[in-house]
Amino acid sequence: MSSTGGYDRHITIFSPEGRLYQVEYAFKAIRLAGVTTIGVRGSDSVCVVTQKKVTDKLIVPSTVTSMFRITNTIGCCLTGRRSDMLLIVQRLRHVAQEFEFKYGFVIPVSYLSQRIGDLSQLRTQYAFQRPAALSIVLFGIDEEYGPQLFRCDPAGYQVGYKALCTGQKEQEGTNSLEKKIKQKSDLTTKETIELAISTLQRVLNTDFKPDEIEVSLVTTENPKFKVLQDLEVEEILNEIAENEF
Amino acid sequence: MSGIGTGYDLYPTTFSPDGRIFQVEYAHKAVENSSTAIGLCCKDGVVFGVEKIILSKMLVEGTNRRVFSVGEHIGIATAGLTADGRRIVQNARQEAKNYENFTSDIIPIHVLTERLSIYVQVFTLYNYIRPFGCSLMIGSYDEEKGPSLYCIEPDSVALGFYGCAIGKGKQEAKTEISKLKLSEMTCKDAVKEIAKILIKTVHDETKEKEMELEMSWICKETKGKHKLVPKKLIEEAVEWVKGQENEED
Repeated sequence: MSSTGGYDRHITIFSPEGRLYQVEYAFKAIRLAGVTTIGVRGSDSVCVVTQKKVTDKLIVPSTVTSMFRITNTIGCCLTGRRSDMLLIVQRLRHVAQEFEFKYGFVIPVSYLSQRIGDLSQLRTQYAFQRPAALSIVLFGIDEEYGPQLFRCDPAGYQVGYKALCTGQKEQEGTNSLEKKIKQKSDLTTKETIELAISTLQRVLNTDFKPDEIEVSLVTTENPKFKVLQDLEVEEILNEIAENEF
Repeated sequence: MSGIGTGYDLYPTTFSPDGRIFQVEYAHKAVENSSTAIGLCCKDGVVFGVEKIILSKMLVEGTNRRVFSVGEHIGIATAGLTADGRRIVQNARQEAKNYENFTSDIIPIHVLTERLSIYVQVFTLYNYIRPFGCSLMIGSYDEEKGPSLYCIEPDSVALGFYGCAIGKGKQEAKTEISKLKLSEMTCKDAVKEIAKILIKTVHDETKEKEMELEMSWICKETKGKHKLVPKKLIEEAVEWVKGQENEED
């Protein structure tokens, strides 16, 4: 602890090396949740998969969710501290609705991501606030740009992805996805879903049951945000298992 | 004295090097210091039970409430700093009233829970206010949707439960609750089971003073309204628990 020399306790203090330790600790807090999320953007679809951890059998599983609808066609998957989730979702919804009211069309995912990135940055600059310990993955089918997949982190850095992995196994997942995307990056809907789920399974070294993951899929045919039902997920998992043999 | 959090545990705005927020974790400890409260989601309603330690013989029974109504159809049971709990309930009542004024309809429990969760969360974001030192269980019964039970912790995480316990004896209580078949239980049976868990499992007669049982329910029988369980039923439940003890001896 003393190696950081006391520069790590306040958000507005730079360390002598120019690091903001509190922001780095916020990233650690994301990993603490023990959940990994994977998102893949295909040529006409986006699929995001996240782990669903229900720690107690007394908990109603349908109330444990990390996938939220922001607009009809934009979804958001949050990874990290569960307590920060609702407020961020509310903010995202507010920003999206305000935009639509003002300009008359659905907010582009890239712009929504920029806005939430800027709001996240503010929280790294004021001493009386702390960053949200969340990795915010925004995805949807844009009218102009087609399938979009963006991630915003506690530092306020946001960027678009062809495929991303965030959360506890970020490094392993990213490496795995890089190899696959290098081979082929314009994926069909089926390939997108299979890549997302099979990567998550490989990285975590488990075969999932339908109630252990949440899968969200948006396609250009069906741009409405939805979280797949258990039966649909089971079908996909079975297909993946068959393909591997 | 220095614990693991020393230096990183003064403000809710400070992350520790491993990404924890100690002030919020300490708020959980405040809840663990208080006596236990249990909520069960049964076939035909939700029942709350609170173990109230009688601190002095001069205290009037039935006062110092730990269970509150929000509107007529929602009940909230608290554990932790009672005053903090009352503040959140006050906010809940305001939310319910606003919702009703706006939509001319009573507030659904999941909407209220989400709003309270966000309210509690805001107090974990700034360095000039402290998190709430209380957990709440929110319950309601709807003819169509059936019974619902949610629990909000000091870190604002709100999850739905089939059965929940908060406070000092929550671990032992949860173990007992998971043995029950809640989907087949009626509220009347739940009153007995909760009394049994609070009197036998959770309450330590040697260490603590006497206890008072505060129970309330929202069920088919009360037509979806949150009411205190009739005193007669509680007395019967206590008798039944004593009977069980004698049987086992």
